[in-house]
Amino acid sequence: MQINLPRKVNTVVPLSGPDLQTQALREKAIVFGVAIAIPSLILILWEITTRQGWVDELFLPSLSGIVTEFFAMVRKGYSGTPLSVHVFASLKRVFTAFSIGTVVGLLLGLLMGYYKYVRAAFYVVTELLRPIPPLAFITLFILWFGIGETSKVLIILYAGALIVMLNTISGVQSCPKDKILAARTLGANDMAIFLYVILPAALPNIFTGMRVALSVDFGILVAAELLAGNQGIGYIIHDASTFFNVEGLFVGILMIGFFGVVSDVLLRFIARRVVHWQG
Amino acid sequence: MSHPLSQTTATTAKPEAYYDDLLDADSGQPEVISLNDVSFGYSRKKLVIKDLNLSIRRGEIVTLLGPSGCGKSTVLNLIAGFYAPLVGTVTHCGEVVKSPSARRGMIFQSNALFDWMTVEQNIAFGFRFQALSKYEKQQRVKAIIQLVGLEGSDRKYPYELSGGMRQRVAVARSMVVQPEILLMDEPFAAVDVQTREGLQEELLKLHQQVSGAILFVSHSIEEAVFLSDRIIILDRNLGGIIHDIPIHLSEPRYVAMNRVSDAFNQYRTELYVKMKAIS
Repeated sequence: MQINLPRKVNTVVPLSGPDLQTQALREKAIVFGVAIAIPSLILILWEITTRQGWVDELFLPSLSGIVTEFFAMVRKGYSGTPLSVHVFASLKRVFTAFSIGTVVGLLLGLLMGYYKYVRAAFYVVTELLRPIPPLAFITLFILWFGIGETSKVLIILYAGALIVMLNTISGVQSCPKDKILAARTLGANDMAIFLYVILPAALPNIFTGMRVALSVDFGILVAAELLAGNQGIGYIIHDASTFFNVEGLFVGILMIGFFGVVSDVLLRFIARRVVHWQG
Repeated sequence: MSHPLSQTTATTAKPEAYYDDLLDADSGQPEVISLNDVSFGYSRKKLVIKDLNLSIRRGEIVTLLGPSGCGKSTVLNLIAGFYAPLVGTVTHCGEVVKSPSARRGMIFQSNALFDWMTVEQNIAFGFRFQALSKYEKQQRVKAIIQLVGLEGSDRKYPYELSGGMRQRVAVARSMVVQPEILLMDEPFAAVDVQTREGLQEELLKLHQQVSGAILFVSHSIEEAVFLSDRIIILDRNLGGIIHDIPIHLSEPRYVAMNRVSDAFNQYRTELYVKMKAIS
């Protein structure tokens, strides 16, 4: 009997068009290009419209005017205080409040996430506080802690700690049950499970909470520095607003944005190293 | 035969005399696990298991088959000590099971590996809770890594491994602490057929060297026949055990040709008919 074998098929595919790697690189380049091009275009349009006098300088000063104001502040300071002192005062407040707020939020979040009775004890208070904007407490904080540095730091601390706490609770609770059970069958006790399983599993949520808290802290910083005092980027924004120094106002706003972005990039860098398994 | 994973006496291993009182009259092997008139439900109103009696002898591989919802996984959870029976007792070498223990290992379908630990750290996790010398821990981890063919991957993280390799790590992690029974809840259900068959053969090879019992839950008749010394079929609607079938295939069991032998096909057909009758 003759068996008809299938004819040999030519499997060589002619190489035409870009491979997947080249395609991915090209897409990356386009994304990067768009991310640079659009803000650049906005800045150019901004400069043209203000220079041509299409927009009143009182509403929107020219970009070059803002840059000039910034360098003037660097040279002469603001309100008789060097710009570096203003910047340092703000960064000190925000990072002191952020560091302590993170520790407090983390500890409370871990306890509330892990122990259902602790969670139950604080449940009503947490749910009540959650929707209230921290700035609503600003007058109370001044009444309780005075109008000085303490109330400024505490209001920022409170705002950040609440966010870190809520994210930590959700991180602890999202730890897969089978990982906890697997650890139990390997002989781990409660403390070991908490340290080696639940805490690492909660880290991605904790870092997300820290990033959100840090950006909120910068927002609260500006509001807190509106209170009495004569140092800080928030003070510059407030003072410049009072005297219609719109260029100065923009310098303050852009500095907050700049330090907010830099600290977030730093935190994201740390998160990528610590929570490397998240990709 | 000395245990391949321990040059010295394992802390979890029981002396031979310990088993003497528990020797089973039929097989000559001591009973490791025994369920005595066990009833269980996640609520008292709806039972999942009713008056179940089951015994697993030392060194045997038993597979639980049955329709979805018949309580196969629940039996594993009760033996592991994750739940306590509403009625009856689960005993391990004569002692009532009250909580999870390293003497009863568990492998989940999801592998439940710790994503933040390397393969080596995952495997060595159970040793954190055992009083062994560092040298012995290293030797035993090294030995099991070789046994499951994970050389070269010991520094990798679970996210860098394929599904089959992750499941190998899970098996190694549970076996390295030498449990007296390994409970496996559909561990190979999420991998492709070829990988699954490879894993089954490796499991049998491992079992030859690590002498604990295995209680396996599966939906696959082929898997059950290939792996088991005994197959237990659970009925739906609290029917309990309706068949307890000993499996005799040629030795060594792990030889892939067993899958196409006449005996294998006869068992498969017999089980298919029995399963069809209750579906």
